[in-house]
Amino acid sequence: MRGSGYACRAGLGAGLLLALVQIGLPAAHAAQARTVSYYTTEQAQRGETTYQQFCAVCHGASLAGAFDVPPLKGRFVTNWSGATLDRLFDYISKAMPLFSPGALTPAQNADLVAFILRENGVPAGRTELPATDAALKTMVFPTISADRVK
Amino acid sequence: MLVRWHWRGQMQKGWNLTGFDDNQKIRRLRLKRRDLFAGSLAFGAVGARGMWNSVPAAAAALQRTAVGGTVPRLVPMRAHADQITDIKVCLRPFRPAGPRLDVERVGDKVVIHNYGHGGSGWSLSWGSADIAVGKAASLSPRRIAVVGCGVIGLTSALSAQRAGFEVTIYTRDMLPHTRSVRANGSWTPDSRIALTAPAGPQFADVWEQMARYSWKTYRDYLGLPGNPIDFRDNYTLSDTPFEEGPEPEGRTGPGDYASTGMPRATSEFATYGDRIRDIIPAPELLASQDNPFPVAYAQRAPMMMFNFGAYGHLLLSEFYQAGGKIVIREFHTPADMKSIAEPVIINCPGYAARDLWGDRTLIPVRGQTAWLPPQPDVMYGVEYKGAAALSKSDGLMIQAVDLNNVGEMEGVGNSFEHADRAEAEKAIAVFENLFARFPAGRG
Ligand SMILES: Cc1cc2nc3c(=O)[nH]c(=O)nc-3n(C[C@H](O)[C@H](O)[C@H](O)COP(=O)(O)OP(=O)(O)OC[C@H]3O[C@@H](n4cnc5c(N)ncnc54)[C@H](O)[C@@H]3O)c2cc1C
Ligand code: HEC
Repeated sequence: MRGSGYACRAGLGAGLLLALVQIGLPAAHAAQARTVSYYTTEQAQRGETTYQQFCAVCHGASLAGAFDVPPLKGRFVTNWSGATLDRLFDYISKAMPLFSPGALTPAQNADLVAFILRENGVPAGRTELPATDAALKTMVFPTISADRVK
Repeated sequence: MLVRWHWRGQMQKGWNLTGFDDNQKIRRLRLKRRDLFAGSLAFGAVGARGMWNSVPAAAAALQRTAVGGTVPRLVPMRAHADQITDIKVCLRPFRPAGPRLDVERVGDKVVIHNYGHGGSGWSLSWGSADIAVGKAASLSPRRIAVVGCGVIGLTSALSAQRAGFEVTIYTRDMLPHTRSVRANGSWTPDSRIALTAPAGPQFADVWEQMARYSWKTYRDYLGLPGNPIDFRDNYTLSDTPFEEGPEPEGRTGPGDYASTGMPRATSEFATYGDRIRDIIPAPELLASQDNPFPVAYAQRAPMMMFNFGAYGHLLLSEFYQAGGKIVIREFHTPADMKSIAEPVIINCPGYAARDLWGDRTLIPVRGQTAWLPPQPDVMYGVEYKGAAALSKSDGLMIQAVDLNNVGEMEGVGNSFEHADRAEAEKAIAVFENLFARFPAGRG
């Protein structure tokens, strides 16, 4: 699984030689993944702390979900890749944690998205993931390379 | 508090894992109550029921005796060697580190492994499939291939369909010819699934995730026509009190896996049962006046089991109904996977991975079951003297679980996948003898 890129969706035949993240359709995402800095290491770390405190009880310490709770990795990528990140940010902000929707601050929710991106194989960058819809609208949840599947 | 009270019988690995197959080390494996109930015996076996405020407290009262009159009249099993209709032998695909679930690239294909489930493949199948399909899904393919059509391949294929993918199974054999249908077929989720040391603590978490997910999925198949999945009361019998006796080591030679490359003692095998005891029915003792067996001690626990015929056909028709395709094909090397059209492949060849994938960590663990005609009026299972009998819809299954008193070491390293009639007859004789004296004292 080392080596050249993997793109499973039809239309992206030629392997993209991206170090860490490859993108499915549309190809524009690929360019973005290469250049976009999604989040910082510290931010994802904060997100992890928040996650373990508010989310792990249902979604599991390793994001695996359970029989009746969706996982936040694996199948999750199919559900969200290609969508702009404001959608995910909004969903988490308004619907989660399920027992108290909307309880967390925008900064905490951005941290959570950063953590979820990290856990799905998206590499850290130099700038923090913003906590506003307007900024997140320009960023896309990328697909994952086989090398990063956990 | 160190509790020196060993549970014996039912399942060597913890009372909650019913099961026999591998699991029941009928006379030799005792539950380490220390692990199960550490600190919880304050209420102890005599604790007032009304005071149970936690699962451990309730479990600590486990020496509960079945409510009088709840043992139904049991139709005796007709266990005689001249009734044998079939003897099935298989090799459990045992990996000391636990099942292989990692991701590998072969050419432009991504291969997600899902093999090596030891004596727990049926039990853990759905949970393991869910993990493999999750990995596949993170690559967002449209179509997924599954290699193998044993219980692991079939549940992987169905799970992938349920996650929205188009699925093709590539396999050498269809289910009836696989090792899977040569199993015992009951809920034994930590039967020779790993060795504690090489698997490490992380695998315990993965195991729990798989076991819980599978258990819930199986509940969806209960109560259907033909009873693909069912429960049976399982009676574990003993001539001596369950809580007595030294803990056997089940040792077959010096050293251990680390020093010899093979496990040498039962104590090396991982036991994870206590992690899910909150959802697995516990056993209860039978008071002697309720005990119909001609044996001093009996306990009973409801046990989930899989009727291969009804369940196998149901899974296959679900797969076809959802548009699945099956291609009969044999692969000789990993490179052959490149001939598969789909970009993502879930690899479920079972024990065959030892050669197909050159995985020398796979250790064969031989097991054999004898099948007698179905006895639909017999609605229970029995374990006694190292043998297990279970009435299933496709026959009365009798298995020599541990006639040699070596516990989990039984069959380890033995790849003689060929029927041993003498072994079958020995196991059947245990029950022939038992039921010749049945029922005890109530007749
Ligand atoms: C005696 C015994 C009792 C057991 N009892 C229980 C029990 O009570 N409960 C429980 O949970 N588990 C039990 N097990 C364990 C369980 O049976 C196994 O873990 C399980 O069957 C493994 O399934 P599988 O699909 O991985 O492998 P298999 O059933 O071996 O399937 C492998 C599939 O891959 C295909 N294949 C293999 N090689 C190739 C190739 N080169 N090219 C193409 N296709 C290939 C085969 O045709 C087959 O379709 C028992 C096992 C034994 C032996
Ligand atoms: C009480 C249990 C519970 C808690 C706590 C919880 N969730 Fe959820 N979560 C769920 C359930 C159930 C769903 C499915 C909701 C639905 O379908 O309506 C879900 C759905 C989601 C989804 C959408 C999954 C998908 O594939 O579309 C995300 C993202 C999510 N949760 C994130 C979080 C985050 C982040 C937290 C912590 C702040 C959290 N959840 C806390 C139960 C919970």
